[in-house]
Amino acid sequence: MSVEPREDAVTSAPILEVQGLSIALPPGGDRRTAVQNVSFTVGRGEILCLVGESGSGKSVIAQGVMGLLPKALPLTAGRILLQGEDITHAPLSRLRELRATRMSMIFQEPMTALNPVMSCGDQIDEVLRQHTRLTPDQRRDKVMAIVREVLLPEPERMVSSYPHQLSGGQRQRIMIAMALVLDPVLLIADEPTTALDVTTQAQILKLVLDLQQRHGTGVLFITHDFGVVADIAHRVAVLRLGDLVEMGDKARVLQRPAHGYTRMLMAAVPTLRTRQRPDRNADAPLVLSVKGLAKTYSDKSWFGKQRTVHAAKDVNLEIHRGQTLGIVGESGSGKSTVARCIVRLVDPTRGSVKLGSDEIASINAAGLRPLRRRMQIVFQDPYRSLNPRLNVGQALMEGPMNYGMAREQARAKALELLGLVRMEASAMDRYPHQFSGGQRQRICIARALMMDPELLVADEAVSALDVSVQAQVLRLFEEIRERLQIAMLFITHDLRVASQVCDTLAVMSRGEVVEYGPAHQIFSNPQHAYTQALFAAAPGKDFAFGG
Amino acid sequence: MDSPSFETLSVESATVVPQTSAWARVRKSTSVRIGGTALLVLVIVALLAPWLGTVDPTLFDPASRDLVPGKIGEITNLDGETLKHRFLMGSDSFGRDIYSRVIFGTQVSLIVGLFTALVALAFGITLGLLAGFVRWLDGPLMRVMDGLMAIPAILIAIALVAMWRGGLATVVVAIAIPEIPRVTRLVRSLVLSIREEPYVEAAISLGTPTWLIMLRHILPNCAAPLVVQGTFICASGILTEAILSFLGVGLPPDIPTWGNVMAEGRTQFNQYPHNIFFPGIFLAVTVLAVNILGDGLRDTLDPKMAKRV
Repeated sequence: MSVEPREDAVTSAPILEVQGLSIALPPGGDRRTAVQNVSFTVGRGEILCLVGESGSGKSVIAQGVMGLLPKALPLTAGRILLQGEDITHAPLSRLRELRATRMSMIFQEPMTALNPVMSCGDQIDEVLRQHTRLTPDQRRDKVMAIVREVLLPEPERMVSSYPHQLSGGQRQRIMIAMALVLDPVLLIADEPTTALDVTTQAQILKLVLDLQQRHGTGVLFITHDFGVVADIAHRVAVLRLGDLVEMGDKARVLQRPAHGYTRMLMAAVPTLRTRQRPDRNADAPLVLSVKGLAKTYSDKSWFGKQRTVHAAKDVNLEIHRGQTLGIVGESGSGKSTVARCIVRLVDPTRGSVKLGSDEIASINAAGLRPLRRRMQIVFQDPYRSLNPRLNVGQALMEGPMNYGMAREQARAKALELLGLVRMEASAMDRYPHQFSGGQRQRICIARALMMDPELLVADEAVSALDVSVQAQVLRLFEEIRERLQIAMLFITHDLRVASQVCDTLAVMSRGEVVEYGPAHQIFSNPQHAYTQALFAAAPGKDFAFGG
Repeated sequence: MDSPSFETLSVESATVVPQTSAWARVRKSTSVRIGGTALLVLVIVALLAPWLGTVDPTLFDPASRDLVPGKIGEITNLDGETLKHRFLMGSDSFGRDIYSRVIFGTQVSLIVGLFTALVALAFGITLGLLAGFVRWLDGPLMRVMDGLMAIPAILIAIALVAMWRGGLATVVVAIAIPEIPRVTRLVRSLVLSIREEPYVEAAISLGTPTWLIMLRHILPNCAAPLVVQGTFICASGILTEAILSFLGVGLPPDIPTWGNVMAEGRTQFNQYPHNIFFPGIFLAVTVLAVNILGDGLRDTLDPKMAKRV
């Protein structure tokens, strides 16, 4: 084993060369290859971003380089060169030597990538034990040094902690420490910040950037987020269904994309600027008014102390007809709790929720039933929002028929709404698994609209969708609100999405609304420190996206 | 900006995802084919029992006691006529035809297996749905189920049969009761996870009444694990019936069941092993067939459970 001294390397020689790489998919899939004829290089100290939507084959390329391809995905053509050494068909023993010492990888979900029964220090130490002949003392010094370098607070405590005791961002720092402790020449980062909150993401991106510059590491950075690309990349490669459609310097690709697909993706990324909206009718009737809403979860066990969690505290909101209120916040901020209290999927602990003139928060089940049809919700996960055993027609007709609409009438209405969400009438007799995520979300929206609601709640309704599909669904929401003049409550963690659809904005943090006002005002001049931090952390904020 | 319109993209994403149906996967499974075929043969044997060269299984003839398999002997029917009959599996110490008794016993075993599974599932599903949906009922109901599970199944069955008059219905109920807690637990756990699914929450906000949510949204999505569980209950029901009959607490001795045949042959096992051998083979093959079918169904319908077990 040897770690090459970096002075010897010629800066121009690439660290990683991938030539004509093709990887097959198992037969019976929707296409024959995961990636075909993909070629790219990563130079010393360079960050190459592989961008693509789900199913583009970007993660498969990373696995191919690391030699981690599953047997079902054989490498059929091409060469992979690491510092000139052909590792395409390298034996496992050689790959094992190279991993961690010359190339290493960090993953999307650090909780599952770390071993839950080993302390973090031991896990970093294990890399050293496997690959070096250092004494325990030397190893310990090295572990402490790298933990300090990834800027973890209280390094001693971190080293003896187990993964579940750390936050998501801290775990990802441990992963990075593990990956970089032997100073590899190549780091592969597969969506390393996707599972993190936006402020944590910004810190991790900065850390990767700092370390990479200091060590001269070449980075193959895989992401679906053009904001992240704008923040971190030197060069960009765009993948579409296994084809590398465009590659070039960041500035060139982002500002003058040559390929139609790249242009479409770039146009689909929502801008951070709020659009000029026509002034809404100020005396539009009030649809929803929330006053002093609170939700407390208490966990009382027979023995031990009672634990209470304040998921939402003293939330006040108002939505007028034809307007969209956005609730923005990071995970655990209580935004979904508020949404679920409003549609009474959970019972609020305190406070008042008024739909028109009817109180929802404290009404009993019998009284609630006639009110339910006036407020509908669309959920985040399109794959779990539809009962797999009901066809689309049945799913759509269920609601109105619950309230006594005749089957024929409900069917006619379902067909009409399928048209509104741009689905074909033939969808009526198909089952949910036959549709893509975006299509399913359209069906869910149609299902909600079947009830002619006054209030439509969208709980992270576009978060699980690819950016191009997301743009379509966002436009659909806009169109619906415009045409049907309903009030919308739009819950999202994504400021870009919020800027596109919201008239008013509520920023939530730790169960409280910290800032509330017209969206354009908050976007142009955020007042609260948390809102400011949120804006500062938005990836690609210095870059004008959108068409 | 001359970006392609979104509408062109949605056409591309509109392709229907091909997916093999659960039924197609079930039919392809080797286990399902083997177990299903064996079970089908047994069902046909049970249905055609009177026409498979059998005589009335209760007939006996002192002249034909303890014949070895294949021997020709005499047997007297209910009209008093004496017939020549080949005892394919020999005869027992009363001179009854083992072959006829085993073939007719197939009817009893399959009926017991099927109805045990149906009774256990019916009660288990009802109680499981109640426990999963009616929160205040969950604790008391499940503690009762825990208590029931603490008693060995065969002991409960013996006690119940001893309490009531012996008969097919009694035996079925006695075997089904100890299985109910297992089904209840399974259904409850499925209900607790499925009721958190967004499609159930969507149904709530669509104003669907709770009973309809249970029947339309929750129960159909429990179907696969329940079918699998049902086959395993069926197999164990057949086995338990044989055990009860063997111990003399199952069906009355005049009803030909595999357990009864074996019980009667027990004392003479040294001289005439065929008394126990043939019903034993039928019992083993039937239970094996049902279990193989159940394994196959589990692997194809319920892949998550297949990995757990």
